[in-house]
Amino acid sequence: MFAANFRGDDPPRPPMQAYFNPTIAALTVRATLGRRRAFLFALPAVVLIALTLILRASHPQALVWPDRVLGDFGFSVLLPLTALIVGTGVLGAEIDDGSAIHLLATPVRRSTIVVTKFAVAAMVTAVFAAVPELLAGLLAPDSSGLAVALFVGALVGSVIYSAVFVLASVLTSRAIAFGLLYVLIWEGVLSNLVGGARILSIAHYCLGIANALHPDVGLHAGLTLGTSVTLGIIVTVGALTIASRRLSSFAIQGEPA
Amino acid sequence: MSANTSAPMTGGQTGQAGPAGVGAGSVIHDLGYRRYDGLRLGRAQIVRALAWHSFRAAFGFGRGAKAKIVPLVALVALCLPAIVNAFAMSRGNARIVDYDTYTPTFRDLLMTVFVAVQAPELVSRDLRSRVLPLYFARPIKTIDYPLAKYLAFTGACLVMMELPLLLLYGGSIANVHGGAAVWGQTRALIPGLLVGLMWAVVLAAISLFLASLTGRRAFATGAVAIFFLLTFTLAEILLQVESNLNQVGPAVPVQTGPGGQIVKHVLPPAPDVAEKVSGLFSPFTLFDGVRMWLGGAADPADGVANPGAFGVVYALVLIAILALCLYGLAARYRKARLA
Amino acid sequence: MSVIKIENVSRWYGNVVAVNDITVDIGPGVTGLLGPNGAGKSTILHMIAGFLAPSRGSLTVHDVPTWHNPDIYRTLGLVPERDSVYAFLTGEEFVRATAKLHRLGNPGAATRRAIEMTEMSSAADRRIATYSKGMRQRIKVAAALVHDPEILLLDEPFNGMDPRQRIHMMELLAKLGAEGRTILFSSHILEEVEKLSGTIQVMVAGRLAASGDFREIRRLMTSRPHVFNVRSSDDRRLAALLVGRPYTTAVELTAKGLQVRTSDFGAFCAQIATLTRDQKIALRELLPTDESLESVFGYLISSQGN
Repeated sequence: MFAANFRGDDPPRPPMQAYFNPTIAALTVRATLGRRRAFLFALPAVVLIALTLILRASHPQALVWPDRVLGDFGFSVLLPLTALIVGTGVLGAEIDDGSAIHLLATPVRRSTIVVTKFAVAAMVTAVFAAVPELLAGLLAPDSSGLAVALFVGALVGSVIYSAVFVLASVLTSRAIAFGLLYVLIWEGVLSNLVGGARILSIAHYCLGIANALHPDVGLHAGLTLGTSVTLGIIVTVGALTIASRRLSSFAIQGEPA
Repeated sequence: MSANTSAPMTGGQTGQAGPAGVGAGSVIHDLGYRRYDGLRLGRAQIVRALAWHSFRAAFGFGRGAKAKIVPLVALVALCLPAIVNAFAMSRGNARIVDYDTYTPTFRDLLMTVFVAVQAPELVSRDLRSRVLPLYFARPIKTIDYPLAKYLAFTGACLVMMELPLLLLYGGSIANVHGGAAVWGQTRALIPGLLVGLMWAVVLAAISLFLASLTGRRAFATGAVAIFFLLTFTLAEILLQVESNLNQVGPAVPVQTGPGGQIVKHVLPPAPDVAEKVSGLFSPFTLFDGVRMWLGGAADPADGVANPGAFGVVYALVLIAILALCLYGLAARYRKARLA
Repeated sequence: MSVIKIENVSRWYGNVVAVNDITVDIGPGVTGLLGPNGAGKSTILHMIAGFLAPSRGSLTVHDVPTWHNPDIYRTLGLVPERDSVYAFLTGEEFVRATAKLHRLGNPGAATRRAIEMTEMSSAADRRIATYSKGMRQRIKVAAALVHDPEILLLDEPFNGMDPRQRIHMMELLAKLGAEGRTILFSSHILEEVEKLSGTIQVMVAGRLAASGDFREIRRLMTSRPHVFNVRSSDDRRLAALLVGRPYTTAVELTAKGLQVRTSDFGAFCAQIATLTRDQKIALRELLPTDESLESVFGYLISSQGN
């Protein structure tokens, strides 16, 4: 009866595209990279490259600094922090200020929303963390093997971290606080102290993969390639599934009485 | 919202205040608004009340349960080394944790988490919900709001720093015997407490200033976290690189840092200028530099080299950062903007 | 033919009951959901819109439950109360994005139409961050209308609108209702509900206090007398006559005329004209003073409190 003029028939869509919505992706990219926020995650990447260049100029012999720059800075700080800020922001910011309802009051499937947002988060994190990591690694002397390995590890990390942080932002409004606790304390300290905890540490999945590509004792990777890949897939798919289910039950907390 | 239109008023008026002025001798009494003529507490009380409220908010009190998780977990985690130390000492082993260095990197990370998550709770929330006009519509000066917030957050950071030290002290006292030993412990505690004070004062200023720049809590947390972690990792890398150029001592795998074990080389006694300057890049390394300049011992687990006389520069940089952040914080609220 | 069926729906948060066993059917046309703050209007609207699950009972739209069912948004539009939209988008971009998310075949045309309907054409190219509150409301309505929904739910839609905007919005909603759509809006501003909707649902403290046309509701409330303002050529004589009649409970002489309370609305209305004609009194004004929605509302609120 209504909308006869404006509603075209929904064209049948190929299965993969059913999970990715370009409109949502465009909105998310604009929201994430708007103004001041982009500065926040462009800065660490710039500092990484700058540091590499300065050290290369002042200490041309490799010694030990590429490991520290690529590993401690790039992999252990830049990647998880960028993923945290981006990942908790893609959906979390909208839920927090209430504009998510305009997105949810449409027939778009909840899993599509989650997967699209996750994909944008992973891509932005890859651009602002994995790519600078590769660049720094290629700029540093004698490190191209390590650079490529860490680049692949960072790509995998962008994916897994984004999935977990998007899930966190659906579960709680304080996702970035808990995420920071996880990144700094769990990944930074505990999982290195307690060996068994490595299976719950995303950083170690990535290190395991990087180590398999370019074995390096300095990486201190504790997991094998097989374990890392398997756990990575389980965590990613599991996180996205749970996030989609929870988003279906998105409830507006109205003002009670 | 009563639709009761029945109550007849004499003279057909329904006014309240002031006499109806209809007939001589008739008057309608004003029983409505009453002025308050009692004691009014002044500025100091307002600042104190705001500071106390903010101090509680820094640990999540006054909000739901989820707000308490991160600060209290951080506090408990920070106290753990003290407890472990007491345990170790009770078994007759030497102490593993000192008063002035405590557990360096662990404490750095935990304090980073604490200030990054809680500073926005104090300042960003008020900006977001636009309640600043409510605060400033009181008889206070514009400096009072940031002052109260700063005092509160410094107090909170002080609790985070000193409580573990006091626990450490208590645990040590329980395990040593004799008045001289107790006095020795006390003498060792004092510098540790002073170091804690230095940390609290500076960390609170930096994190509050950064958080006050935005009303979105998540953004503020990200900004504070990035600032501290970026500078910290930068300084650490520079320190390691510079120190490696000097004589390389035996490798000592000492402690864990973010992402992997940091293998430290024992530092030679006289670091060069580049190494000394490297320590200026992060508040945490600045703290250590000042501590060592004032006579603290170098902790091999810590990357910072003893700056010697150069420590004066560390202290000046620290004071400059503190002054800048406090000025910025005060300036932020001078115009009482809404967002 | 009811479109929205609400059966024995309750919603509680711990010890607080926000909605208390409500059963009502809502059909085409404009229905006003009326009630004081905290009555549960927003809660019910969010439940109908599928954004809150009832603790008990069932809510269906066209016999399909709304919870966990994104497909209902094909025919349902929601205008939430909270003032939150993507501030960095222009109005036109926002409505167009919503149109694309609804998978409309021609999003551009739909966007233009929706923006024209809400009179936002001149401001559509500006960023929403620069809009006033009333403009934000209207752009939200435009986004809710872009897919031409059969059902439109509006939570306090007139908040922040100036009188001219309000009149225009009321005309728009009336027109949409006349087209056969089901429009349900909540408000605590009585004049709007009075002018706009024939049917009202009154909610007080989570319960449904009354349903139907508000004049009918008023007539159903026989326990309260009706109050009329009467002006005539000879008020005092008319007052004496009225006091003698059984349907009059009170008469009061005021500077502006008579105020008559009657317990039998029907008898009074039937007989007042005859009475004045027979007694040769010219009746100048006969005005029911409490048949406004405000008084109905007031009676309902206070009777709930008793």
